[in-house]
Amino acid sequence: MSINNNQNTDIQANQNEETRARISTVKNLKRRFVRNDVLAMVLLFGLMLIAPLFPSVKGWMLSQASLVIIYIIAALGVMVLVGFTGLVSVGHGGFLAIGAYTSALLTLHLGVDLVVGIIAALLMSGLIGAGLALIFLRLSGAFMAIGTLGFAFFVGTILNNIPFFQGRDGILLDANFVLGFEIYDHGFYLVSVVCLILVTLFVYMLVNSGTGRAFMALRDAEKAAMASGVNRLKFRTLAFSISAAITGIAGALNAHVVNYVSAEVFADIWYSVDILMAVVVGGSVAILGPFVGGFFVVMMPFYFEQLADFSFIMKGVVLILVLRFAPAGVAELILRPLKNARRTILRNVGGSMVETKEPKDD
Amino acid sequence: MLGQQILSGLATGSLYALTAIAVVVVFRNTRTINLAQGDFAMVGAFLGIIFLKEWGMNYFAMLALVVLCCMALGGFVERVVMRPVAESDWLTLFTTTIGVYYILHGMAGWIWGRDTKAFPVSFEATPVEVFGALISKGHLYNMAIALLIGGVLWTFFTKTKQGIAMRAVTDDPETAYLMGIPVKFIVTLTWVMAGAIAGFIGVLMAPIIYVSPEMMDEILIKGYVAAVFGGLYSFRGAVIGALMIGVAENLAGGYLGSHYKTSVAFVMIVVLLAFRPQGLVGIQERREI
Repeated sequence: MSINNNQNTDIQANQNEETRARISTVKNLKRRFVRNDVLAMVLLFGLMLIAPLFPSVKGWMLSQASLVIIYIIAALGVMVLVGFTGLVSVGHGGFLAIGAYTSALLTLHLGVDLVVGIIAALLMSGLIGAGLALIFLRLSGAFMAIGTLGFAFFVGTILNNIPFFQGRDGILLDANFVLGFEIYDHGFYLVSVVCLILVTLFVYMLVNSGTGRAFMALRDAEKAAMASGVNRLKFRTLAFSISAAITGIAGALNAHVVNYVSAEVFADIWYSVDILMAVVVGGSVAILGPFVGGFFVVMMPFYFEQLADFSFIMKGVVLILVLRFAPAGVAELILRPLKNARRTILRNVGGSMVETKEPKDD
Repeated sequence: MLGQQILSGLATGSLYALTAIAVVVVFRNTRTINLAQGDFAMVGAFLGIIFLKEWGMNYFAMLALVVLCCMALGGFVERVVMRPVAESDWLTLFTTTIGVYYILHGMAGWIWGRDTKAFPVSFEATPVEVFGALISKGHLYNMAIALLIGGVLWTFFTKTKQGIAMRAVTDDPETAYLMGIPVKFIVTLTWVMAGAIAGFIGVLMAPIIYVSPEMMDEILIKGYVAAVFGGLYSFRGAVIGALMIGVAENLAGGYLGSHYKTSVAFVMIVVLLAFRPQGLVGIQERREI
C-alpha cells in the first residue's frame, strides 16, 4: 500500500517537473517573440534614421517622407481612441490645428525652439482634449462623430476670425531651430523620425500597461470592467486626452515642415476623415496599422498626382474592399500568418496549457 | 429686416431639411451615416444637365428621369456595396459610405470635369412679397416642393403598408422579420427612397449653387448637423433642426458678418449636444459617463 503511494507521488512529482519545464519553455518562447518584435521595430526605425545617408535620397523625398511620418503620428493618436476605446472622432483635424497654431505662434512671437513648440502643442491639445472629452464622451456613435466634426469647424472659425491667430493670411515661419541649430529638410526628417519613435514607444507601452488594458476592458465589456473597479469617466477622458495630445504633436510638426499654417487646411472635414481612414485601412488594433494606413493615404495621391480623379476612385475602391474582406485592417492581414505560426509553435511545445482560442474572425 | 432674414433663412433651411430627411431615412433603418447622400444629388444634377441639354427634354420629364436614375443608384449602392457589410459595426458602415463618396466624386470629376457648370434652367429671382418680406420666386417654388415631398413622405409612413413596415423595421428589425416583413427588401427600399429625395435635391439645388463634383459637400454636412440636431431618428426633429439652422445662419450672416455664416451650424450643434446628448427630439442612445 505504502509502496503504491510512493509510486503515485513519484509520478506526480515527475508530472509537476514536466509541467514546470514546459511552462518555462513557453515563457522563454514568449519572451523571445517580444524580443523579435522589438528587434523588428529597432531595425525599422534604424533604417529610417540612416535613410538620409544614402546618396540617392534627395531633399524633397525627405520632406515628403516627413509628411508621411506626420500622418502616421496623427493616425497613431486616432488609433488610441478608435482602436483601444472604440470611440470614433471625425474631428481630429481640430487638434492638429491646435497643435500647429500653438507651436507656430510660440515660434513667431517668442522665437522658441522647435522642441519647446512641440511640447507646448502636446500639452495644449491634451488639455483642450480633456475638457472636450466631458462633452463628447456623453454622445453615442453617430452623435459623437458629428459633434467632433462640429468641433473641427469651430476651431477653424475661431482661427479664421480672431485677428490674433492670423487665420485668413496664415502664419509664415521662416526658419526652424532645434536646440539652437537651424535645420532644413534632413534635420527636419530626423526630428520627425525621433518624434515617431517616441510616440510609437509610448503607445506600445500604453497598450501593454494596466491603463491600456483598462481602455480595452471598457471597450469590450463596459459593465464588467466597471464592476471590477475601472473608472469609466477617468479612463475615457484620459484616452481622449492622450489621443488629442499625440495628434497635437503631429500638428506642430506639420506647421514647421510646411513652414506655413492656415486654418483652411485643418478645418476641412476631409482632412479629419483622411486620418480616420488611415486608421481604418491600416487597422486600429495593431501598432503597425497606422504605419500602413498613413503611408497609403499620403502616397496614393502623390503617385496619381496627374490623375486626381483616378486616385479618388482608387481610394474609394480600396477602402470598400478592405472593409469588406479585411475589416480589421491591412496590418492584421500581414500579421495574421505570423501570429498563427507563433501560436502553432507554442501549442506544440506547451500542449494544453497554452490557450488555444482561435482568433476572432471579424 | 428681421422678417426678411428669417424668411430667406427658412428658404435655405427647407433645402437642408430635404437632405436631413434623407439622412434620417437611411440612418433609422440601417444605422448608417451615409456620407454619399450628397453625391447622389450631385450625380442627379449632372444627369439633369445632360437630359436638358443633350436630350432636349422638358423640365418635368427631366426631373422624373433624374429621380428614377438616383433611385436606381441608391438601390445599386445598397445591393452591391452596403449589403455585404450590413452586419458590421457602426464605424465600418460609416467608412464604407466614405468609400462610395470617393468613388462617385472621382467618377464625376473624371467624366464631367472639375469645373463648375451652370444649370440650363436659371433660378427665378423675381421677388415676391410675402408677409411684408421679399423672397424670390425660385425660393418659394423650392419651399413648395420641399413641403410637397414632406407631405408625400408623411403619407407614405402613416398610410401605406410599406411605410408602416419600414417603421416596424426601425423599431425592431428582428421582430419585424419574425412577423413576416421582408427586412432586406425594406432596407433596399430605404436606400431607393434616399436616392429619390437626392434626385429632387440635386435638381432643386443646381440652379442656385451651380453644378460641380463638390457642390453638395457643404449642404450635406449641414443636413447632417440638422439631422443630429433633431436626434437622428425623428423626421420632425430633422425638419425643425434644418429650419433653425437655416434661420440662424442667415441671422448670423446678417448681423455678425458673413464670415460667421457657415460655422453657426457647428457652434449650435456642439452647444446643443453639450446639454442634450440625444439631440433635440432624441428618443434614445446616449452614452453614460
